[in-house]
Amino acid sequence: MSRFNLFFVFAFVGLVVWVTLFSPRLIGNIQEGALVIFRPFMEASDRLEEEVGDLGEEPVTQSEWRERILGVERERDQLRLEVTQLDEILNENNQLRRALQYTERSPISLVAARVVHRKPTVWHHTVLIDKGRSEGIEVDFPVVVPVGEETALVGKVSEVVGEHNAVIILLIDEVCQVSARLDGTQEQGIISGERGAMRLLPSLRLRYLTKESGAYPGMKVYSSGAGELFPPNLLIGEVVQFDVGVIDAEALVIPSVDFSRLKDIFVLLPLKGTEESDDPVEIPTRPLPAPSL
Amino acid sequence: MRFLGFCAVLLVGSFFAQEFVPVLMWAYAARLLLVHTVFYCVALAVPFPVMLFFAAIAGFCWDARFHVPVPPLDAITPGLLNSELPFGFSMFLFALLGSVIQGVRPVFRKGRWELPIILVSGCIGLGMLIELLVISFQRGEWLSPAEFWWKLLLTAMFSALLSPFLLLLLSRVANRTRFRLWVEGLQRRQRYDGESL
Repeated sequence: MSRFNLFFVFAFVGLVVWVTLFSPRLIGNIQEGALVIFRPFMEASDRLEEEVGDLGEEPVTQSEWRERILGVERERDQLRLEVTQLDEILNENNQLRRALQYTERSPISLVAARVVHRKPTVWHHTVLIDKGRSEGIEVDFPVVVPVGEETALVGKVSEVVGEHNAVIILLIDEVCQVSARLDGTQEQGIISGERGAMRLLPSLRLRYLTKESGAYPGMKVYSSGAGELFPPNLLIGEVVQFDVGVIDAEALVIPSVDFSRLKDIFVLLPLKGTEESDDPVEIPTRPLPAPSL
Repeated sequence: MRFLGFCAVLLVGSFFAQEFVPVLMWAYAARLLLVHTVFYCVALAVPFPVMLFFAAIAGFCWDARFHVPVPPLDAITPGLLNSELPFGFSMFLFALLGSVIQGVRPVFRKGRWELPIILVSGCIGLGMLIELLVISFQRGEWLSPAEFWWKLLLTAMFSALLSPFLLLLLSRVANRTRFRLWVEGLQRRQRYDGESL
């Protein structure tokens, strides 16, 4: 190798070392800048993907849209009533708890967000949402969606990219590890995705269960709340397989959330203090409002 | 100089075009890594210092767009996983594999594209494998499900399908802009003038 090339090699190595020493804050700023540049292309790509995906479907007529809107409005009114009733019950419950000198349940607020980009990177399953620092979102805040009558865990905030964007790392990613428990038992383990997770509906691995845990297919798995990162009782999925090892046992779990169709999600924010507020909504353990059209 | 400018534009353009490349979940989440394919094809055509410059730009932009910082885990498993591929790792990877690609520049210059195409797709697969090795090392557990090898193979195959067109484009533009694809090693030993190969 010529001296000329060798000089460039040393200069390049120096540059790489310098870049790897960047602080997380600086990396965040760089990624924020990159997002500003790439956002129009990301949005255009998602729009194109949606349009291509909708090609085979029947077009929805105006009257069908009207019916859908009316249906959603009816559902919204019904849910408002339910929320009012539940708020009353919650107040009453808290009063009784206070009377019994129990610790008052700490309320949690929700921020509704829309997924603006869902393409995974080579190794990580992430989505980008349209809410960020200005809405009070911070790293590690849990993300949920309504599934039937329950609240299901989607993942957690991995990075807040600017005032109005955040990256969510999905539950199907190996790095999103959640302490979980088997429904109806005290059995707890750590649930996480599989490395790469390269299938349409990847399964989750619930590890470190005891051999006597007795998990069976169809058994529901919920977050346990241990570690205090994720609230308890968030639905994670259903056991499909249970394998007993030499020391412990492991269960394969099918997630309850269809991660390929995520559109509207909710970020859970812990409220400072216990004073009531109209917006955002509180308590994640009851059914969440249905996402809008 | 005009050719190098074209390569730079092609590389930058590939970042924007990458956003439109779908992830094929039926193909084990494989996709065409357009930026990588363009970079490795460009690496065949440009001198070593320019390749390093492009590696720095491409690696930095790739990490700025796709780097995922791993937050601390649930407190129940502290310290199990607190680092991933560092920011700037793609720069190193692009330069390393770009240097490997540079080894077949003379073959490319002779108009033989079979080996360069195989090497371009091979480098894409090798890059993914290196990333998996680093991730596995940091997570302390080696996992390589069959799906991963399929993903690697299909991703490499997609780039192998695209690279002939990119090489054709580069050689055409090189001819138009009268850019001579130098082979420095031969030039020194045999007083090669850059024309006779």
